[in-house]
Amino acid sequence: MSPAGQLLLPALVLLPLLALLPAAWHGGGLDLIGQFLLAAVQPSTDPALIAASLRGIAITVAVALWSWLFSLLLGVIGGVLSAEVVSRTLWGCGWPALLLRRLLAIPRSLHELLWGLILLQLLGLHPAVAVLAIALPYGALFARVVAEQLDGLPRRNLEALQLAGAPAPAALLMALSPPLWPQLLSYGGYRLECALRSATLLGVFGLGGIGADLRLALQSLQFHEVWTSLWLLAAVMLALELVLARLRQRWLEPNRELLVGFAALLLLLLPASQWLELRWQVLFSPWQWPEVLPLWDPSGWLQDWPQLIGSTLLLTALAALLAVALLPLLLLLLGPGRWPRLLLSACGLLARLLPPPLTALLLLFVLQPGLLPAVLALGLHNAGILGRLGLEGLDALPPQPAQALRLAGGSPRQVLLVAGFNGIGRSYLSFGAYRADVILRESVVVGLVGAGGLGVVLLESLSSFAWGEVLPVLVVYAGLTLVGEQLADLYRRRLLSGPLPREGCQG
Amino acid sequence: MLLLAPVAPALASQVLRISAIPDQNPERLNRLYGLLAKELSDQLGVPVKYKPVVDYGAAVTGFRRGDLDLVWFGGLTGVQARLQTPGSKVIAQRDVDAKFRSVFIANQAAGLKPFSAQKDLQQLKGKRFAFGSESSTSGRLMPQYFLAQAGVTPKDFASGRPGFSGSHDATIALVQSGAYQAGALNGQVWDSRLKEGKVDTNKVVLLWRTPPYADYHWIAQGNLDQRFGAGFTGKLQQSLLTMSPSQPRQKTILELFAAGRFIPAKDADYANIEAVGRSLGKIR
Repeated sequence: MSPAGQLLLPALVLLPLLALLPAAWHGGGLDLIGQFLLAAVQPSTDPALIAASLRGIAITVAVALWSWLFSLLLGVIGGVLSAEVVSRTLWGCGWPALLLRRLLAIPRSLHELLWGLILLQLLGLHPAVAVLAIALPYGALFARVVAEQLDGLPRRNLEALQLAGAPAPAALLMALSPPLWPQLLSYGGYRLECALRSATLLGVFGLGGIGADLRLALQSLQFHEVWTSLWLLAAVMLALELVLARLRQRWLEPNRELLVGFAALLLLLLPASQWLELRWQVLFSPWQWPEVLPLWDPSGWLQDWPQLIGSTLLLTALAALLAVALLPLLLLLLGPGRWPRLLLSACGLLARLLPPPLTALLLLFVLQPGLLPAVLALGLHNAGILGRLGLEGLDALPPQPAQALRLAGGSPRQVLLVAGFNGIGRSYLSFGAYRADVILRESVVVGLVGAGGLGVVLLESLSSFAWGEVLPVLVVYAGLTLVGEQLADLYRRRLLSGPLPREGCQG
Repeated sequence: MLLLAPVAPALASQVLRISAIPDQNPERLNRLYGLLAKELSDQLGVPVKYKPVVDYGAAVTGFRRGDLDLVWFGGLTGVQARLQTPGSKVIAQRDVDAKFRSVFIANQAAGLKPFSAQKDLQQLKGKRFAFGSESSTSGRLMPQYFLAQAGVTPKDFASGRPGFSGSHDATIALVQSGAYQAGALNGQVWDSRLKEGKVDTNKVVLLWRTPPYADYHWIAQGNLDQRFGAGFTGKLQQSLLTMSPSQPRQKTILELFAAGRFIPAKDADYANIEAVGRSLGKIR
């Protein structure tokens, strides 16, 4: 099937969701949703709150930047070492890379929040722990992306250099780093925004931040205060997006300005670490698991796994399909004009700005608890994230194929479908596969919608400090992530590498 | 700091780190703990720092690791923290905490009527039911205990499990909207939301008020006397117990805590909570 077809196929998920809607609808809290929306134009302007929020956002940005830097470092090193092409070139065989890739699935299979709670037990309440909690899973995810991009690059240059007698490391560097750079830059920039979102989740480490204010305001349903935090967060996210878009154009290839920029960032981050009281030495203190919290409990392994895994996977699959389906479907329905694009961008920003637990709560004001609100909360949030990647992908396509189609008399929708969707199909669907990974983990944070699954068991065991029950769930999450990754690899190889009508258009 | 210098120069660098489980809105929390930190610092002559912790479990763990010195815990989280932290002890509670209650509420459309006999909790079988946070004493532990006494287990609710709204206010909102047909929450929060007119009594009814039990309390680390000087824990306890509405700053603190005053409390006051926690598997 053509990439465009594969982009539109997930929209079929809307049918079962719409079928579930009438039975789940209760509509009893429409007034509360009204209050929430109204509060958007009347955020609280209490000076003390604004001062606290500004401090909060500064903390959040600092944590995000530090963890992003570490995750890039981990990701590039891990990615290069787990790329098959590197492994084959250096050692003549592929299995070390594959083994490392599977090992890296373990840090990736746990949500940042869980990493936070585990590291908290090991190292204590320190800001550095929050940074590490984000950097570990992000670094592992970034490594997967780097490895896959490396393995997807054409090998002709590499082979030519090797035939010409270049030593293996030099050949790798010269052949693979130039084509890798733009993708690294684009994806790396996008991860900074993800790090910002994660840093808002991690108010649990005694350092506060905007996420702590947001969560407390949400718990007490102070919508005006919620919006004070949300607007600040939106402003930072937008600014970040603008700066990154600028930089992507300027730094199409590594240059001196990039180095200067990086140095400036580091200089900025050092005082930030002083101010946050980031004490890195904490990370090098002995990692000791507390004796009062035994990790081994045979009864913890006796759960109704088929049912738990089944409902978690169902939730993940539906939410992932919804997340992938929304942008292509809406673009096609609204048409590719300027205004629909702006509208979609704004909706996307809102969708990824609202944390999934908040969206879930709002949905419960009108829907009965169960699968549907959980799918919608996770699906909409991730559709906002994928939507942005998709729109950026469309903007980056070379204009020639679209022009040719227009000249040949194609309607705007036909042009979008053939030139646009086929052009971004591959990368959009790959990102969709990564997001499915993320959604699996995020299913933990929407416990309040009562959809059941592994997340419910996990939260319950954590609140009982029953780590003997937590461990089996973590192992199952890791297993699911591994299997999911295998499937995604298979899918990419089978379906996405078939004859692509517009392979040449890939940016 | 100047006051402190002649007394205990060697201890000047010690900071008393206080924290609280998160169950208030941020504006209130920041104001409250800012004020409390100042008050304690003035009274005790040591620097006091408030560390915001936004997760029940993280507060317990922070305390176990010794990263927090004095924490305002709920009934269950306090017992969890104390059992994991040898030497720590209960030093005070609010006047309202000795006889704390939970309330069961229902959406009018669910067809449930207020009752006075505990066994009528049976009516909740088969309903969509919401607790607050998993770790909440008044929003989960004690309601689940009273339900169990009446022969209702979490599996008896619609779809075989209860929901967890995450907070007392969310429980009210979700029951009022009809997402959940019934729920349980902190009786004090219910009363104050009623008084503030934030509950639509055409949509929500109070079903039943539970018998009293001990809830929120202050817990201090066992090593404060060694770190801050002999008798420090006693002084700390006194500065909490002597707060009175006649002094403006202390008055505000008590108001923000929704307390008349703080009263002495001891570990044994929470033996009951511990037993309930063990019976329901929340304490292992």
